[in-house]
Amino acid sequence: MPMEPWPRIGWRNLGRNRRRTVITAAGLAFGYFAIVLMNGLMAGMTAEMIENGTGFLMGQIQVHEADYLPQRSIYETIGGRDGVDVEALIRAVGADPAIEAAAPRVYAGGLVSSGESTTAAMLVGVDPELEPGVSRIFRGVVRGRPPERGTREILIGAEMARQLAVDVADEVVLVAPAADGSLGNDLFVVSGIFRSGIAELDAQFAMLPIGQLQALAALAPDRVHEIAAATVDPWLAPDAAQRLAEPVSTVSTQAVVQPWTELRPEMMDYAQLAKSWGFVVIFIVFAIAIFGVANTMLLGTFERRREFAVIMAIGAAPGAVMRTVLYEGLALGAISLVFGVLITLPVLLWWHNAPPDLGWLYGDFTMFGALIRPVLRVEYDAATALWAGLALVLTALLAALVPAARTARLLPADTLSGD
Amino acid sequence: MTTGIGRAGCGLCLVLGALSGLVTSGEIEAQETPREIIDRVDRILRGESSHGFATMEVVTEHWERSLTMEMWSLGTEYSLVRITAPRKEAGTATLKSGDDIWNYLPRVDRTIKIPASLMMGSWMGSHFTNDDLVKESRLVEDYDIEIGFEGLREEAEIWEFVLTPAPEAAVVWGRIDFEVRKDDLMPTWARYYDEDGELVRTLQYGEYQEMGGRLVPALMVMVPHDKPGEKTLVRYSDLDFDVEIDEGFFSLRALQSGGD
Repeated sequence: MPMEPWPRIGWRNLGRNRRRTVITAAGLAFGYFAIVLMNGLMAGMTAEMIENGTGFLMGQIQVHEADYLPQRSIYETIGGRDGVDVEALIRAVGADPAIEAAAPRVYAGGLVSSGESTTAAMLVGVDPELEPGVSRIFRGVVRGRPPERGTREILIGAEMARQLAVDVADEVVLVAPAADGSLGNDLFVVSGIFRSGIAELDAQFAMLPIGQLQALAALAPDRVHEIAAATVDPWLAPDAAQRLAEPVSTVSTQAVVQPWTELRPEMMDYAQLAKSWGFVVIFIVFAIAIFGVANTMLLGTFERRREFAVIMAIGAAPGAVMRTVLYEGLALGAISLVFGVLITLPVLLWWHNAPPDLGWLYGDFTMFGALIRPVLRVEYDAATALWAGLALVLTALLAALVPAARTARLLPADTLSGD
Repeated sequence: MTTGIGRAGCGLCLVLGALSGLVTSGEIEAQETPREIIDRVDRILRGESSHGFATMEVVTEHWERSLTMEMWSLGTEYSLVRITAPRKEAGTATLKSGDDIWNYLPRVDRTIKIPASLMMGSWMGSHFTNDDLVKESRLVEDYDIEIGFEGLREEAEIWEFVLTPAPEAAVVWGRIDFEVRKDDLMPTWARYYDEDGELVRTLQYGEYQEMGGRLVPALMVMVPHDKPGEKTLVRYSDLDFDVEIDEGFFSLRALQSGGD
């Protein structure tokens, strides 16, 4: 049996009014472009938030004593009063394939003072050699350098430096209530000043060598509050944290391993919201498009009603005519999709590799405490591209349904006789 | 009024004594408003100036420690507390001058000013706050005072005053209840409530005895209700009133020079 002619007729019908076909296809293609790009931008913003929110200081995975969060009591060190074999713990965490690096930390609330000015600070004891593998905090150093292991040096935020009116090489007094009830105090030299763009960090955080903070806070060297770890990809963190629970518990029974998705659930919620928002955008854009396409096709089929009447008069079944119109819609969808992919791909590639800088339009801003740069960063999102393509073709088909049904109901005699 | 380290800080003005003997409670009741009674209690306990010694025992979930200290006060504006033991902290001093508090740290030989944001922070690891040092002298100004109960309680005639924050006062407590014995104007306890009406801490007075020629509660115990088992005891071992002391004594320079 020879192939039925209806798909070919449908396809050729698109050529009857090429300008109209191009305009309609352009509309659909642009809808596709808008959806894919918008979702890409949204994914870019989410990725930016997660990378900066977790990468700047937090790390993607943290190990604490079970009761440490959220109070961050100075006494709740890993392993409790007895401390823990810190190196063994770091080795256990670092052994997981998803982990890039791990580093110990000690936290203490305290005061940083210079001359007449005093400010409350979160003192963070870090290992100056391991910390750069986990966080980017040292990369935020704008003046001077990070503190060195074993020295009484301190790295403070730019806003804190401004409030205290101190600069690199100046002396500051650190005061911190120690774990033995005494008031730890000592002189430190500002080795560097960092700027993160995150107001809280810049005004309140100060990093010093972990051993120095332990001495100040009367904590033994094997007492740390946190092991922070970086994963190769932030999205590997939840699984890695689960895998780590067992090896970590063999080193310290009360220790818990948490990925950023648990530590900062609001970031996770936002990422999920952004994802589901993508489908809402697909729906809205094509819901609008469907009426435009249906209108155009109604017009097109109405103009060609005499031709359809002739085809039916010489024996074509209404179903065949209907299929013709549906094929026309399908072909329109296919053309639009190709067109859409052709205009989307270059922009996607361009913005992914060289995000346009909108610094002239707006500055950095923060979201959930994470710094977002003013750039149009686009992430590839294959799922959205596929779904949007499917939705586009479906839209064209759905839009063809009404014109197809109307055409199939044509009465050849009446149509041909006049109107 | 006598609340907390403020009293300690101001030099244990917790002293009543001779003067209270001159005034009968009946007279006070008949002539004075609650505010005037508290003001009188305060002034009698404080003296023009004071000098004394005390030990402070702090018990927390994690550690216990004992500090001995020497303290001076002048009026309501100035006070100085210097830690004398243990050795690790000997020489550490706190100066209150008006609304400001400075700490002198002998180890680094530096003086730091306590920022406003840390006024509610613990003073020397105790359950007293820096704010107790500053605000104690201002209770009469910052709070509206009413008598919540008057009469016999535990075999003593007492007043129970209820202090509620004045409309524009920048205070941390939602309410303070304060009990004073009528016959000798000795405070017995103060209860501090937060803005939700929750009891946060209780200050208990005790060991009433003559010091520096006045009757004073030699013991104050601060109990925080959100930390079971924790408390801070301040016990005065020696106390003198109306000593020769001037404002220059309460300067930053004097603080730094170590007072010796």
